[in-house]
Amino acid sequence: MQAEAKALDSGSVSQSLSTRSAAGGRSGGWIGWLFALPHLILFFVFLLGPTVYGFFISLREWHVLAKQHPFVGLANYQAALSDDIFWIALRNTAYFVFLVVPLGNLVSLLLALGLGQVRRLQTFYKVAFYMPVVISIAVVAVLWQWLYNTQVGLLNLYLGTMVNGLRQLGLPLSAFQPIPWLSDPHWTMPSIALMSIWWGAGGNMILYLAGINNIPPDYYEAARIDGANAWQVFKSITWPLLRPTTLFCLVFSVLGAFQIFGQSYVLYGGGAGPGRAGLTLVLYMYQQGFSQYEIGYGAAIAYLLFAIVLAFTAVQFRLLSNREESRS
Amino acid sequence: MAKMVRQFQVENPDVQVNMQIIPWGTYYDKLTLSLAYGGAPDVFILQAARFSEFASFHTIRPLADLYASAQPPLTAKQFAPVPWHESFYQGVQYALPLDTHPIGLYYNTKLFREAGIVDQNGKAKPPTNLTEFLDAAKKLTKDTNGDGQPDQWGFVITNQHSNWLTIAHQFGGDILTPDGKHGAMASAPCLQATQLMVDMIYKYKIAPKPEGVDAWLALRQGKAAMAMEGIYMLASLQEQPGLQFAGAPAPQFGPKQGVWGGSHLLCQPVGISPEHSRAGWRLMRFLSDHSLTWAEGGQVPARLEVKRSPQFTALPVQAQFARQIGYVVYDPQVPRANSLNQFVDPAIEAALLQLQTPEASMTDADRRINQLLARP
Repeated sequence: MQAEAKALDSGSVSQSLSTRSAAGGRSGGWIGWLFALPHLILFFVFLLGPTVYGFFISLREWHVLAKQHPFVGLANYQAALSDDIFWIALRNTAYFVFLVVPLGNLVSLLLALGLGQVRRLQTFYKVAFYMPVVISIAVVAVLWQWLYNTQVGLLNLYLGTMVNGLRQLGLPLSAFQPIPWLSDPHWTMPSIALMSIWWGAGGNMILYLAGINNIPPDYYEAARIDGANAWQVFKSITWPLLRPTTLFCLVFSVLGAFQIFGQSYVLYGGGAGPGRAGLTLVLYMYQQGFSQYEIGYGAAIAYLLFAIVLAFTAVQFRLLSNREESRS
Repeated sequence: MAKMVRQFQVENPDVQVNMQIIPWGTYYDKLTLSLAYGGAPDVFILQAARFSEFASFHTIRPLADLYASAQPPLTAKQFAPVPWHESFYQGVQYALPLDTHPIGLYYNTKLFREAGIVDQNGKAKPPTNLTEFLDAAKKLTKDTNGDGQPDQWGFVITNQHSNWLTIAHQFGGDILTPDGKHGAMASAPCLQATQLMVDMIYKYKIAPKPEGVDAWLALRQGKAAMAMEGIYMLASLQEQPGLQFAGAPAPQFGPKQGVWGGSHLLCQPVGISPEHSRAGWRLMRFLSDHSLTWAEGGQVPARLEVKRSPQFTALPVQAQFARQIGYVVYDPQVPRANSLNQFVDPAIEAALLQLQTPEASMTDADRRINQLLARP
């Protein structure tokens, strides 16, 4: 139990950050505030200010070109909730979160576990797996658009070659039909999810790797002496001691996944994909606010998304703090 | 346009023109923000589909006084009626119409001749009605490599929006009811038009499913024999080496004539200084007077004397497309016309991809349109 708490202290980024800032506030007095001032100014001017102003906008009928912006109360919210496309966008977004969060974290964890075993060239692999994270989503989407192309895409080419090869070996497979990755509504979200996992897996991989490296080697040594196999080691040592990192990664993956925008925006040229299958909440907000210029309505959608994400975060933080309490 | 502006500068050295060409993808964002928060250009173009939106918010300057003082006079008589009518919003004239750009039929003359679809002189003969169209398209759809799948198509739907609106109008339908207050996409004429487009793909099998195909590229590469596309796409076909093609009016599928089109409308921002406004008007007038240069790039001039000029009638495709100018139809002229497309286009697509039946997708669109039009 103690060891778990130790791992939590050193492994959890959020906790170490908050501890540090609290300590600074106590010892520095007004000098602490002075140091924080540049950030605070930016925070108020570019984040909190616009956020509050956005709420003000959401209560008004506000077309960019209109000279007057009459107050309409909650009419924009009411309109959004009775707008079935809003619900389609929410459903698509939830589906994306459902696909990307567990799978993405699994991939990140597996990469981190694998890297933990690598002795030579570890830095090279780290950089290689992390590389996609630093590429802009616009570039990623354009790249994958080509990979996903039904007729000439690399993915269908490889799959086709593989299936045909297996058929020649005598396996009872039917001839390969090119998969319409981006043009069939059923494939749209899984395709976007796969691309997003490739893009983002490296980020969480680094966090998992840090978590794994923080597990004291004595435990593994003890396990080896007791004759535990690899699965037992993972199940009884790595996984439980990694739990705080996992929770942290899950919380932030959920937050990030709910805000998916660039993928659909680039793949479908600002549109919504076949049968609106690629329409996500942020994209819908963007379309309403910046394509239709109905920024009052767009702001209302933004606040509804904010409420949803806030609810999710509250639940997750509750889980996080419960765990900490149970340990102390 | 750059050429025309340069010429204007030479002839009008007292007016300084700074021209900016902005791609359509970001054009309206920049224009909207500049009109809302300052920095708008003195003269700019609005497309017909967006015109009512800007006019309804009183962001563009009424031009009655400039028309009244124009020397030599500039009146309705000098313009084709459809684009002229388009320059008004609720009875006030806000624009000088530069052109009309309808879609029309592009067809591959080589494929037509090979399929024997020719007139007495052996020249490729474009279809003018539904029967001729289907007959030709069936002959032109071929499986040339024997894999059971057509690899040459009689027809491709390159732009669902303009093709649907064209056919819908030909059956007597439109996106909105005539009063502009309700969706009308599930009306019988619109359903007939939608069904016809669906049938082209699944029943007659003369057009590929609009999924994972670059339809325009197929036409350019000679893998499709016909497409109904805008006159402004002409340059793209002219660039294609070895492509033999011609233009014709869009076939008439339904009982009425009708073809979707747009217009480029020259406008000025509200609040422009009288001096800039007068100088801007001189530029607008000049562009209108010299719209032949503009037309060469793939437009039908709105000015009748330009349209009737021998130089214009000698342009083979433009002159063919211009034959339709009397019955060009635009997107609905309502303030929220642009916002309608977020429901219209996906509904057409859903029907063509058979994600929904035409009835279901069009009924959905109507419901959403009504909801939007009822919003504050």
